[in-house]
Amino acid sequence: MSADPTRRKALALALGGAVALARPASASAQSSDVDQLEQLLGREQRLQSLYEAALERDAIEPGLGATLLEHEREHVRGLEMALRARGRRSPLAGVPPPQVGTAFVSRPAFARFAIDLEAEAVGAYQQVLATIRSSRLLLPLGSIMTSGAQHVVALRQEAGEDLLTPAR
Amino acid sequence: MLSSLAAFEHAAAVAWGAIGERLQGEGSGYARTIRAHQERHAERISALIRELGGEPPEGRPREEYESGFPLMRDQDEALRFAADLEEQLVRAHLDALQTLPEEDQRRAVAEIAAEEAEDLAVVYVLSGEPAAQLPFVTGTQ
Repeated sequence: MSADPTRRKALALALGGAVALARPASASAQSSDVDQLEQLLGREQRLQSLYEAALERDAIEPGLGATLLEHEREHVRGLEMALRARGRRSPLAGVPPPQVGTAFVSRPAFARFAIDLEAEAVGAYQQVLATIRSSRLLLPLGSIMTSGAQHVVALRQEAGEDLLTPAR
Repeated sequence: MLSSLAAFEHAAAVAWGAIGERLQGEGSGYARTIRAHQERHAERISALIRELGGEPPEGRPREEYESGFPLMRDQDEALRFAADLEEQLVRAHLDALQTLPEEDQRRAVAEIAAEEAEDLAVVYVLSGEPAAQLPFVTGTQ
């Protein structure tokens, strides 16, 4: 049931290639897509910073932390490729780390904090998927969103919570 | 495309009923929750179809679906079927995104895709595997 890890490179390439292959859109449409990609990139960079800090402070089980950090790096790499393909030479160089407050006092506390950030990111991807103009970006962005949804489950497990919310 | 998704969700709800019969302990409880997810997804997609003036497909009796289910003699076989089913659901919803022109349609299907990915992660956990395995989850691993 384990997944083939080599697929990540193909999807990352698809994320960049999706935009490169797309026919030129109007300037406003392209600008809007770029804005949305930059917004997602900022969120992914914050998550990357968060997991780096959590690993340094032993606020997350090391195996899980390393996996989530690796995934965030792949997401950042893919989004940067998509932005470069849109002619954005210097994507956001970095963003301030999230305000963590007391998130690092324990592993469950950190997990609950990270659940909120991951869930917000999933919601941001859903907004972008609903409105982005480049249809070629839908599958690669969707595949990052679904990865984020699985991060939420992994963090609920780390926090000792139910893995699923009840059906709404 | 929406009709296909609704029909798939009806079938998935029935499948999770069958899967749940082979799971024990917390797995049985999660199967009930995931079955309720699928039923709600079918209702939500059906509502989108009605908004477009269409008639959504109805769910069928369990016996009409069961011949398509693999043999599930124990929990391991049930979880393998569950993983295959959820991967196909994730993929079907991500593929559907590319065919939907309206914002509310895409948003609904994206939200359902995320829930299917969560359900898949739970299947992984019940199988003794990590919940989050890949940075890009396409449903075709």
